[in-house]
Amino acid sequence: MATETGSELDGDAAVAVGLGDPRRLLRGALGVAGFLAVWYVVALGSPAYVVPSPVAVAEAFASELASGDMTAALFQSVRHWIPGTVVGTALGVGAGVALGWSRLLDDLTAPLVRTLRPVPPLALIGFAIAWFGINDWGAAFIIAVGAFWINFYAAYGAVEGVSEDLLDVGRTLGVRGDLDAVRSIVLPAATPGIMTGIRTGLGRCWMLVVASEIFGVPGVGREIIRASNNLRVDQAIAYILVLSLMYLLVDVAFRAVERRVLVWRA
Amino acid sequence: MARMNGNGADEWEGGGSLPPAAASVALDRVGKTYSADGDPVRALDDVSFSVADGEFVCLVGPSGCGKTTLFRIVAGLTEATDGRVLLDGTEVTGPTTDMGVVFQEYHLFPWLTVAENVGFGLERSDRSPDERERRVDEMLGLVGLTEFRDAYPKSLSGGMKQRVAIARALAVDPDLLLMDEPFGAVDAQTREMLQRELLDVWASTGKTVLFVTHDVAEAVTLADRIVVMAADPGRVREVVDVDVGRPRERGDAAFAEYVGRVRELIGAGP
Repeated sequence: MATETGSELDGDAAVAVGLGDPRRLLRGALGVAGFLAVWYVVALGSPAYVVPSPVAVAEAFASELASGDMTAALFQSVRHWIPGTVVGTALGVGAGVALGWSRLLDDLTAPLVRTLRPVPPLALIGFAIAWFGINDWGAAFIIAVGAFWINFYAAYGAVEGVSEDLLDVGRTLGVRGDLDAVRSIVLPAATPGIMTGIRTGLGRCWMLVVASEIFGVPGVGREIIRASNNLRVDQAIAYILVLSLMYLLVDVAFRAVERRVLVWRA
Repeated sequence: MARMNGNGADEWEGGGSLPPAAASVALDRVGKTYSADGDPVRALDDVSFSVADGEFVCLVGPSGCGKTTLFRIVAGLTEATDGRVLLDGTEVTGPTTDMGVVFQEYHLFPWLTVAENVGFGLERSDRSPDERERRVDEMLGLVGLTEFRDAYPKSLSGGMKQRVAIARALAVDPDLLLMDEPFGAVDAQTREMLQRELLDVWASTGKTVLFVTHDVAEAVTLADRIVVMAADPGRVREVVDVDVGRPRERGDAAFAEYVGRVRELIGAGP
């Protein structure tokens, strides 16, 4: 065919905006400073068991970190966060893809799925204790249930949304059978939706760490509950910050992975 | 691939009889009825015509005449309710890599690079990895996209995307190139360029082409023969031989005459 011209290429798609922009960073810092100032003023007129000052929270954070209690609690939480998240995510994505693709499986399981869907993970604590005991596996179970549903629906929706036209093109190019279609077209086409589900799930699982430790499994969530019971709101906030930081860390890491995997996206 | 005007297939004008054996594609009394809100709707009725080996045939007709349904039936993506489609004498029962199919909206795989898109069908063939690579390079050269082999579709213009789609369809070396308004989504200038390029590809590969379009001038530019369809139900109104040497100029009196004649056929009521 005729020679190609570079002018037909669109320009570099949207130069990265966001974190690199110093003005936005500055605005964010101003927002945080303003929040801390308001918090500080409000804390001046309140007893420490209602609103501790940001300084008291910072001190609690430092002392818990120095004593080693904080890192110990964090590692305990990580020990059920990881298996809970991994297993729940894997099963959720797998089930979502299978049911999103197969009308037969979808019809077979629809009543069951709709019955189980509204059950909050917290309501399953009794089962966690009965099936796994008051240990990491019991806590991991609660987290896995939360991860499962988020990933199930994200993957299910992503697979349902895969263009019939791409599947038609695939068939004309020799794609035959469910496995080939799922592997070569459905999964790659659904990857953006699946990745969004995984990312949402990662955050949700850090929230569920608190719920999963409510029945006595040690960890960050347990520390928050313990500090609250002792009216040590400064310590409770310090441990909440740990969860926030972990979420932030995992989210940033996952975004980096996502950008690499989805480099083809507009 | 030379000009195919006046070959044997022209003698068979889409009656009810069986097409000659040399025909690459033959539609034999193809019909399609589907149900809309419980009422049967006849989308295609008794559609018969053939496309000879190496011939370039365009299918035109008013909107709603079932062109796209017919395209999907030939491609094996939709089942006909009556009749059959024969590809080199064998009935088409589903999609086959003997046909290279090009859609209006390109439908490139966005997660694959240009080269990977072109090589998609080859991965399912029995060619060795080396052969596949050579074939991809050859196809990219044919459509002039060698330097974009590692680009993702998102960075390509509409015209370039359609070139990739054509290269992808041709890569598996099909006997027939089946195209549904492939240049309908690009601007007029790009369309004319792509038309010229398609004629070049056709001349250099010798493929049989069945090309669906609603653009009469496009059909007269490209086709050896034009199958003009009528609507309600979709059927063949007439098959027009385009007896003009290539390259064809839109300003020529003969060109304008064919355009006028085909438009008249389309415009005539049911």
